[in-house]
Amino acid sequence: MLINFKGAKTYIGTGGKNLDNSKTTICFIHGAGQNHLSFIQQSRFFANKGYSVIVPDMPGHGLSEGKPCKSIKEIAKWVYDLLKTLDVNNIIILGHSQGCLVALELNRLYPSFLNGVIFVAGSNEIPVNQFLLDLSLSDEQKASNLMVTWGHGIDGDMSINNWPGHSHYGEGNNVMKMNKPKSLNCDLNACNNYKDGIDAAKSIDIPALAVLAKNDQMTPLKSGQKFVELIKKCETHVLDCGHFLQTERPKVLNSLILSYLLKL
Amino acid sequence: MGENYKFDTLSLHAGHIPDKETGSRAVPIYQTTSYVFKNTQEAASLYNMEVGGHLYTRISNPTVAALEQRLAALEGGASAVACSSGMAAMHLVVSTICSSGDHIVASSKMYGANINLLQHTMPRFGINTDFVNPNDPDAIEKAIRPNTKMVFGEVIGNPGLDIMDVPAISEICKRKNVPLVLDATFNTPYLMQPFKYGANIVIHSLTKWLGGHGIAIGGAVVNGGNFDWGDKEKFPTISGPHFALNGISFWEEFGPSALIAKIRAEGMYNFGPSLSPTNAFYLMQGIETLPLRMKKHIENTHEMLDFLQNHEEVAWVKHPDLETHPDYKIAKRILPKGSGSIIVFGIKGGREAGQVFIESVQLASHLANVGDAKTLLIHPGSTTHSHLSSEAMKEGGLTDDMIRLSVGLEDINDIKKDFEKGFRAVKKLGARC
Repeated sequence: MLINFKGAKTYIGTGGKNLDNSKTTICFIHGAGQNHLSFIQQSRFFANKGYSVIVPDMPGHGLSEGKPCKSIKEIAKWVYDLLKTLDVNNIIILGHSQGCLVALELNRLYPSFLNGVIFVAGSNEIPVNQFLLDLSLSDEQKASNLMVTWGHGIDGDMSINNWPGHSHYGEGNNVMKMNKPKSLNCDLNACNNYKDGIDAAKSIDIPALAVLAKNDQMTPLKSGQKFVELIKKCETHVLDCGHFLQTERPKVLNSLILSYLLKL
Repeated sequence: MGENYKFDTLSLHAGHIPDKETGSRAVPIYQTTSYVFKNTQEAASLYNMEVGGHLYTRISNPTVAALEQRLAALEGGASAVACSSGMAAMHLVVSTICSSGDHIVASSKMYGANINLLQHTMPRFGINTDFVNPNDPDAIEKAIRPNTKMVFGEVIGNPGLDIMDVPAISEICKRKNVPLVLDATFNTPYLMQPFKYGANIVIHSLTKWLGGHGIAIGGAVVNGGNFDWGDKEKFPTISGPHFALNGISFWEEFGPSALIAKIRAEGMYNFGPSLSPTNAFYLMQGIETLPLRMKKHIENTHEMLDFLQNHEEVAWVKHPDLETHPDYKIAKRILPKGSGSIIVFGIKGGREAGQVFIESVQLASHLANVGDAKTLLIHPGSTTHSHLSSEAMKEGGLTDDMIRLSVGLEDINDIKKDFEKGFRAVKKLGARC
């Protein structure tokens, strides 16, 4: 659905269902250079499992207008305001990659706002190398293509997909192309500059779920494993794939999330 | 990981890794109509298009999916759907994008069945087409109306071998917010990948060079994922509410793959032009050697061009790699590896000489196909385009003496010797006259 939020047309995926405030809400936060289409195989799945689903396109991403947020803190505040505006309850936040930093910050800034938190391909920090930062300014398309390539495991290389006929690379590149120019650079800088992850991770008091990837080249497994050790109560799983677990291993990921939700 | 494999490697591997349970190196043929659901929740998930998977082979099948994913990878597209023939692919695209009252701009120099579909069949359903010279971007732009839903043409026209100026036409389409749909059968992704030049949708007859061995009929729609279907007024079938699935918008739910998702949910579901898993396997066997075959096809084609141009019994030779071809410069620009392995030529002596030639060769087969590993010949005026009037044939660049040659992979000297037999018979005919 499209709403007017903070003066800009904002797209919110709801998994094809009408938003129902009485249900537990799962809010999916996309990663750098991504949009709601990162969660094609989660949004409809959970919307049809009795949850209210919110998959916002951040400002300047996907079908949302507006200027991209410049810091993780700014994105977290934006998400908080959005959820307040939508008047949803019993909120579980699921972040992918940069979205994990947003989830961490949201929980740090607004303690007891969340009922659950799920980290997919997450870490407490996502340093970005200068080459990619520069490239995202000088040749955004090339930077996007590189991220799509690095972001996938062998399934990306070999065009293996559980969704018949779909190519991870072809689809991934075009999802990134939907975003407004320079949004990727904004996102990468926001990731690179975020330094509150350790404190934020330590402050999590609610049960968390982390699903990491063995062949993740964007948020390497080692970094993810150190991160989950900072969280008091975190159920952790490692899947044999690349950074984009949502499309590379959707069925296993969905079942892990579902089982976590049922335990809350 | 992150290997970005090259074309030759993808031709062999894309869409399949060795089966984890059986270790099968080749793509298994899943010769099944349906798939056992683990539970009712899984069944509901598949029906609701919540997650990927297979429900019924009319809609998708694991062997066919491997082929589709290989094609998407080779074209650099977002997604693909394979179907029973190239014409089924064409129909899927038209019927998914267009509704009654809509309009198409199409090349006037195309394969007879493509023209037939747009000129005679679709108007019965309220979809009308204006046919325009494919080499005239201005005329294409002028023909686009507010209700035009696609511009359609063939990268290399069949059988006239006109080359569409894809970069120029794609710019026009982008400006007018109309998808450019190209039949890329004659070039295959080995010679040219239309998405790199701004096309939005590619259709293939897989029966031809991609399959390459004349053993299986098949087609495919490959979606570039690079078209914005967000205008709900203009593209209601993709971005407007779907008749099922709680009225979702395919554009909002599936983004770059909205077209293919819609084709599967409506076209494959309601019309049922599915490809058999066994044929998908045969076609993939062909694709494994596509780069090798295309190199040799082009090599032999260039040899045959020299041979025919210098033959006293040949009146004229047409191929886009010849400087005499009106689209030579465009071909050089967008088809630098070569402009395909179809040659059209005229035999001195007209229609009768053409018939004698075709009936006198031994190695080359007289049949209605192209892109086989074997050399093929046909006389379009009496076969593929026989339903067209003389005026329509002329408009399509056809003449009575024209022979369409699909150059095969045989030893080039054997093809030449075979043709000499045909030319000797033509010469005898001339002597009798």
